[in-house]
Parts: sequence; structure tokens; C-alpha cells
Amino acid sequence: MTRAQGGRFELRDHTADIAVAATGDTLEAVFAAVADGLAAASADDIPEAAGDRFPLSVSAESREALLFDYLDELIYERDVRAALPVDHRVERIETVGEISPGDGTAGDDETEWTLEASTRGVPLDEVDAREVKAVTYSEMRLERVEAGATDEGGWEAYVVFDV
Amino acid sequence: MSNTTFDADGITLEKVREYVWEIPREGDMRVPARVLASEALLEQIQDDKTLEQIKNTTHLPGITNYAICMPDGHQGYGFPVGGVGALDAENGCISPGAVGYDINCGVRMMRTNLTYDELQGNERELVDSLFANVPSGLGGGGIVEAGIDTVDEILSRGVDWALENGHAVEEDLLHCEDEGMRKGADPDKVSQKAKDRGKNQIGSLGSGNHFLEVQRVTDVFDGDVGEAYGLEEDQIVVLIHCGSRGLGHQTCNDYLRKIEKQHQGLLDQLPDKELAAAPAGSQLAEDYYGAMNAAINFAWVNRQLIMHRTREVFERVFDRSWQEMEMDLLYDVAHNIAKKETHTVGEDGDQRELYVHRKGATRAFPAGHPEVPAAYRDVGQPVIIPGSMGAGSYVLRGGENSMDLTFGSTAHGAGRLMSRTQAKDEFWGGDVQQDLEEQDQIYVKAQSGATVAEEAPGVYKDVDEVVRVSDELGIGDRVARTFPVCNIKG
Repeated sequence: MTRAQGGRFELRDHTADIAVAATGDTLEAVFAAVADGLAAASADDIPEAAGDRFPLSVSAESREALLFDYLDELIYERDVRAALPVDHRVERIETVGEISPGDGTAGDDETEWTLEASTRGVPLDEVDAREVKAVTYSEMRLERVEAGATDEGGWEAYVVFDV
Repeated sequence: MSNTTFDADGITLEKVREYVWEIPREGDMRVPARVLASEALLEQIQDDKTLEQIKNTTHLPGITNYAICMPDGHQGYGFPVGGVGALDAENGCISPGAVGYDINCGVRMMRTNLTYDELQGNERELVDSLFANVPSGLGGGGIVEAGIDTVDEILSRGVDWALENGHAVEEDLLHCEDEGMRKGADPDKVSQKAKDRGKNQIGSLGSGNHFLEVQRVTDVFDGDVGEAYGLEEDQIVVLIHCGSRGLGHQTCNDYLRKIEKQHQGLLDQLPDKELAAAPAGSQLAEDYYGAMNAAINFAWVNRQLIMHRTREVFERVFDRSWQEMEMDLLYDVAHNIAKKETHTVGEDGDQRELYVHRKGATRAFPAGHPEVPAAYRDVGQPVIIPGSMGAGSYVLRGGENSMDLTFGSTAHGAGRLMSRTQAKDEFWGGDVQQDLEEQDQIYVKAQSGATVAEEAPGVYKDVDEVVRVSDELGIGDRVARTFPVCNIKG
């Protein structure tokens, strides 16, 4: 499935839960694709126009933690707004401070990762949606893919959600 | 495969005795892992990452004797579902991931004095009325809409709050673990975010595998214990399966992240980040224990409100008072929980305080244990094992071998066999619903057809086999079996 930001996702089998595998040309695109996967795991059919967009911003100490907190924030917003976040756009991912030699995957007290995003909240009474309880770190992957002969590389992510 | 080993794609299990398999210690494993299963169940357990996950669990500091996988075990995240890990409360740790997101997800059973004959003909009205009156699914609200002050009261006092506010009677407290109030609950350790999520969900089923089911007792295997539990054949009972909703999920997440920030050293020793644990004695371990206990209280109130609402629905449908229908709580069990308990460990018979983590496992204390409520101390603690909506559920009692074999634990359900995505490819909710009604006279009503497909009877392991193994091992003995009549879900 191709999304607005060029990222793609697939729902993957997991005995009790559900996993999302996503790719994107940029970090922003892969984040948005995982979030779209979360929406797809929650509802088979997403109404095209219902609901209003709202912005959100998240910060964390590493890139993986930022992905985790972003998805956690979406689940939180779903419950408090009674609206399913869909059509995700990640406008900007930035770092403040030094990036650690580990390429930001290990937490570094000096570094903060921030994200600016927006999403469309479909009121829960306008969509047939199921509850995804939480994002998990189990088997989580967020990796850069080197450019090959036929592609320009990009990012890959794999996230298991608790259903 | 020989008689004494089972080769599971790179992991070899040695047979200790019938139904007890051991993965010997190797590498950084602190203790061996054990799987309690028949060969038939083991064939299913080996199909996903359950065995790898139970091995990973043995890396947790302070893990005592063995990491144990119950007969219904399946792959979870970090810790497998159906896992029991007893971690030293002084030198070990406590792991939010090993409790699970849905803190105090659990099951309660309420008796009635109605018989199946009396109920027949009313199934449709009953299922419709339960569905209309018990909030389920996403965004369905709760029985009680509350402010943060009320949430704090619930977190501190548990079912005692429900009693004071007319949602419970004294007898309900006496038939719940800890009398429905976990001491040491600290609402201040539960985040504002968690409370914001929980305040609109007090008294709601949620979705996924959670449900409310009206059932009939089809078999009583142990007459004496059955009598002590007030169960007899043909009787109608109600089973409620749900947990602490968004409040619990958020609490787990909050503490996983805090551990990641504060105890990276311990985290680096663990093979799966989702096993994240706070060292015993650390401030964070204390904080998490206080928050988890608060979420436990929240979940008890959640199930209590749903049970009390069910009484009111029955009153309307059967036109008599719930007291007249003797709609009394049989018992309430948690199957995602960590509790500080004292156990006898080692050859010297030392008494040790342990954080016993049961994730997809149920406490099953035997007769005579002081922590079994007085009402059941002579016969043993009731254990409720829900099956799928097309199969039976079971009532067991804590078996006399449970303290030696499993830190006083047994299975929690049938255990999933098939993924949700595969289930949706193989089943269609409408067909499942129609088949259940036409072939088995089971009336199902759900918010989402996809949930019915994902929870189709065919996606679960054989609950009869799970319970047979529990019974043979003497960790949870069969008392009675029930069969669904009406089922509502999210």
C-alpha cells in the first residue's frame, strides 16, 4: 500500500498480536508508514473524509524511543479524543545536541530527538475500529537500508503491537 | 524424536517426567526453563517463538528455580503468554513487560440459580440487552463517567469504592482475591495520561479477546468441591473477561520507558528490550509496584461494575430481583499480574519473598493456603479458565502440587493457535456467528465482525487438553465445565 509520504507498510502475522513492517525513503516517511499500519491494524475500512486533522509533537532520547513514543502518543490521543488517528504525516524529525557514535539508536543524554506530525482523527462512532492496546519494543527494528544497484536505500521498521 | 527429548527447531527439551519438559541452562541463562505440556501441546507451542521467549525470561536477575511455560503458552512480547517467573524481591527485579500491558486482565464468574431450561427462549433478548447495557469495543464509554478524583479513589480502594457507591455488596468483596483491594496501591505513581485514558472506560469490556458470556454448567467433575463452589449441572453462570483498559496499558508503557532511561545497564543484559525490569529495592521498582497495584484495583472495579450491571440486565429480562436469582460472585482471578509472595525454595526449604510474575497464567493456591479466601480455604482457590466462544470454559481448584511445581500457578485459557491476520483470511464474522447460533445455540453479538472472526473457535488450542494437563500435573484440578449460551464482545 503506498501512502502520501511514499512509505509502505504491511501487516504481519503474530500469534496473539499484530506486527507492522514498514519502509520509507526518509525517516519521516517510515514513521508515518508504521503509524498508518497501526491505523490499518485498528480498522479494515477507514472513512475517506471524516474527522479533523490535529498536530502532535513528541520528543525522546533516541530514534527508536521516538518511534515508540510517537506510536504511544497516537494510542493515547485515540482514547482521550475518542477518535482513530489516520492519514499520518510526519513533517519533521530533528535532533538537538550531539548525535552519539551509535547513530542515535543508543540513548545519549546529550541528544534529544523531536518529531512534528499531524493526523486526522476519525470519530470512533464513524468507524468500525478495534482496540490496539499498546506499542511494544518486542522485536522492534528501525534500520537504515543502504542504497543498492536498483534503489536509493531508505529506512525499514518492524513494530509489534499488543492487541 | 526419542522418548526423553523433544527437538524443537534448534531448542532441545529434556523430559523430566510426564508433562514436564526442561530446556537446560546454557549461555547467559540463569536457570533452566520448563514447559508443562503434553506432546500434542508441545507440537503447537514450538510453532512460534514461545520457547525462545521462555528461554529469554531466564536471563532476568533473581529468577528462581525455573522460568515456566504453562500448557496454554504462546508467543507474546518479551515474556511469553502463559509464562510464570518468580524473581527474588530482595536481589532480583520486577518487570512491567513480564506482567503485560493489561495489568490484572482477568476473569470472574458469577453464579445464578437459573437453569438452562428456564433461560431458553430468552437468549436473544438477553444477548441484546447485555450488549446494549455493557459498554464494549473502542470508544464505547464506561458504566461510570468519572473525574480524576474518582479515578484516584478507585485506584486506592478498589472494590471498596464500588461498595460505597452502590455497585457492589459486601459478599462480593469476600469472594475476590485480596477482598478486591490491593494494599500498597499508590495512585500518585499512575501518570496523568493513564488516568485520562481510564476515566472514560470505567466499567467497559474493551475489545480483542475480552468478552462477557452467559454459560450453562454442563459437567461437575468433583461433587464436593462443586458444592463448595455452588456449582451444579444445568445451572446458568456468567463469565466476565477484561482488564484495566487504557489505564493499565499506559501504566505499563510509562514504566517501560522509565526503566529504559534509568536502568539501561540492566536492560543491556537482557535479550529482549520488552523484558525491561527495575532492580528490586530501587525507587523505580517501588514506584512500579505501587502503580501496578493501583491498576489492579482499577481492573477489579471494572469487572465489578460490569458484573453489577449484568445483575440489573437479568432483573429486567427475568422480571425478578438479582438476589432472588442468587447472582453471587463465585470468584475473580487475575492472569496478568506480579505479586510479592513468600515461597519455599531450594533444597533447604528456605522461605523467600518473590515477585511472582504471572502473564497469561493464573494463581492456583491449594486447600489450606492462608491466602485463599476463608470461603474456599478448605477446598482450594477457584481457578477460572475461559475457552473460546465455541468451546467450554472450566472451573478448577488450586492443586496440591502447584506450590512445588509452578509457584502456585496454572494455565489461563485455551491459548491462541492462529494469528489474527490469518484468522480473518480463514473466517468471516457473520458465518462464525451464524454457525454458532444454528449448530450450538450460542448467541453472539459483537461491535465488530472482524473481532468475531479473529476470535473464532478455530483459532484457539484445545482447552480440554490444556485443562487435562493441568489436572494430571495436580496444579489445577478440574471441578466443572461450562458451555456458552450468550456472548458479547467488542
